[in-house]
Amino acid sequence: MAGFLSALRRIYLSLYNWTVFIGWFQVLYFAVKALREGGPTTVYDAVEKPLQLAQTAAVLEILHGIVGLVRSPVSATLPQIGSRLFLVWGILWSIPETRTHVLVSSLVISWSITEIIRYSFFGMKEALGFAPSWLLWLRYSTFLILYPTGITSEVGLIYVALPFIKASEKYCIRMPNKWNFTFDYFYASIIALAIYVPGSPHMYGYMLGQRKKALSKSKTA
Amino acid sequence: MRREISHPTSKCLGINATDGSSCPACDLLLASCLANFFSSSSHVCGHGRRQRRMKVTLVSRSGREVIKGGIELADEATVNDLQEAIHARIKKYYPSRQRLTLPFLAGSKGKPTVLIPKNKLADYCDGNTNNLTVVFKDLGVQVSYSTLFFWEYLGPLIIYPICYYFPVYKYFGYEGERVVYPVQTYALYYWCFHYFKRIMETFFIHRFSHATSPLSNVFRNCAYYWTFGTYIAYHVNHPLYTPVSDLQMKIGFTFGLICQISNLYCHLILRNLRSPSGNGGYQIPGGFLFNIVTCANYTTEIYQWLGFNIATQTIAGYVFLVVATLIMTNWALAKHRRLKKLFDGKEGRPRYPRRWVILPPFI
Repeated sequence: MAGFLSALRRIYLSLYNWTVFIGWFQVLYFAVKALREGGPTTVYDAVEKPLQLAQTAAVLEILHGIVGLVRSPVSATLPQIGSRLFLVWGILWSIPETRTHVLVSSLVISWSITEIIRYSFFGMKEALGFAPSWLLWLRYSTFLILYPTGITSEVGLIYVALPFIKASEKYCIRMPNKWNFTFDYFYASIIALAIYVPGSPHMYGYMLGQRKKALSKSKTA
Repeated sequence: MRREISHPTSKCLGINATDGSSCPACDLLLASCLANFFSSSSHVCGHGRRQRRMKVTLVSRSGREVIKGGIELADEATVNDLQEAIHARIKKYYPSRQRLTLPFLAGSKGKPTVLIPKNKLADYCDGNTNNLTVVFKDLGVQVSYSTLFFWEYLGPLIIYPICYYFPVYKYFGYEGERVVYPVQTYALYYWCFHYFKRIMETFFIHRFSHATSPLSNVFRNCAYYWTFGTYIAYHVNHPLYTPVSDLQMKIGFTFGLICQISNLYCHLILRNLRSPSGNGGYQIPGGFLFNIVTCANYTTEIYQWLGFNIATQTIAGYVFLVVATLIMTNWALAKHRRLKKLFDGKEGRPRYPRRWVILPPFI
């Protein structure tokens, strides 16, 4: 029974990882194609659907962590997925004026390259039981460049969106109301920006530590 | 009192003792030995033997020696003596900043053994009584708990009245006179009484299990209390605030007040469980609500915030209630577990009775 369940787990996770891999591969393909054919302003429209699907599917990973299907700590994946969903739905989808900005190109390219490497790495481990050392190296090295480019794009796009958020009053709840509740999307976005200040060095440092552990382990293995 | 002195004309290390104990080298009662250089109230042993000493090797968790060559102490020395010796060698490591444990064997269950200041170092040696390896961790700059609590409670005590009394809302675009409802005034009194009570309890009632807390906790805790204080104060004192019915307000504040007074009583009970000499320690709490719930103090605290929220009805207040409940439930589970482990009913110890942890009937 236990063997059957663990095989089921492997099949499920292989399917999951490779499916999302294909999604991100599409994002990269359509992004590069649009850049060459129409320029940066056309990138968002070309990638919107696979981007939304692939990124939103990542919510399942939080579930995987909670039920114990995977070992990743929820505390590390939650902020990462949170910021991604905020950008995809809270900024790009909600504030259309941001879609034609050049930072959209750097954003989706940074994200898609990272995710292609990450999902194929896990996909191989689940399906084949191992991942080639060059893929391990890629997984723990490309972030050195892609984290800064990705984070800069995220921060930049939130900043670009701010005046439009303020003007549109989107997602704002004002008083008076029975529960004396207020929500101001403009101030919430500024707080999100502020979180990047301690959050980015923390995530980068965490990945540096992971890199050291993973790459030294493979040397001695 | 035992003290080492060098004997000027012989090779032995003299022992000067006035407490009527036995010489560890010759085991003779000291009063009966020959006194060479000292009065009858002291004794110098003429044997060519050194007093037994022990050597403590002090390492960091990564294995590096914290003090090269280790520290030599009398074999009767206590952990406290070791702490003072470390402090003497490295000025910045005052005792409350030191965390001393026995080396943790990889693969063994549980947590490393923490050295208790009052105990003798010899108690931690097994077999070889002359050498002990102690793992050192720097806990960072420490502040007293009174300092920590004072600063974290000061924020709410100041920020809330500012929102009530001063025209802060015009900076958010709300001009003009604002109507102040009775509930908002009572909420102000309730809130300020609550934090004033907390500060008074910190100075006059609480007895802490640890004397100090890391300095970083000051920033973390102040961020928590001051941010939530501002968040709630902003909403309750808002010009567009909508009050609840008079009856609901009265129920909320009355219930809350009863819980605050109960909470004070719980703190008094907890205080009397600990001795004034302040070595912490744990006893089975009893009396009042402690007979049915382990952390009755947290229970009453949670319910008094519930009373406040019933009366003032803000999402901000309820969010604070949920977060505070989660934090206190975490603490309560740890404390309940600790007490059950300590009072396991074996070897003459009492057995911890069946009780709710913090919030009957849920947990």
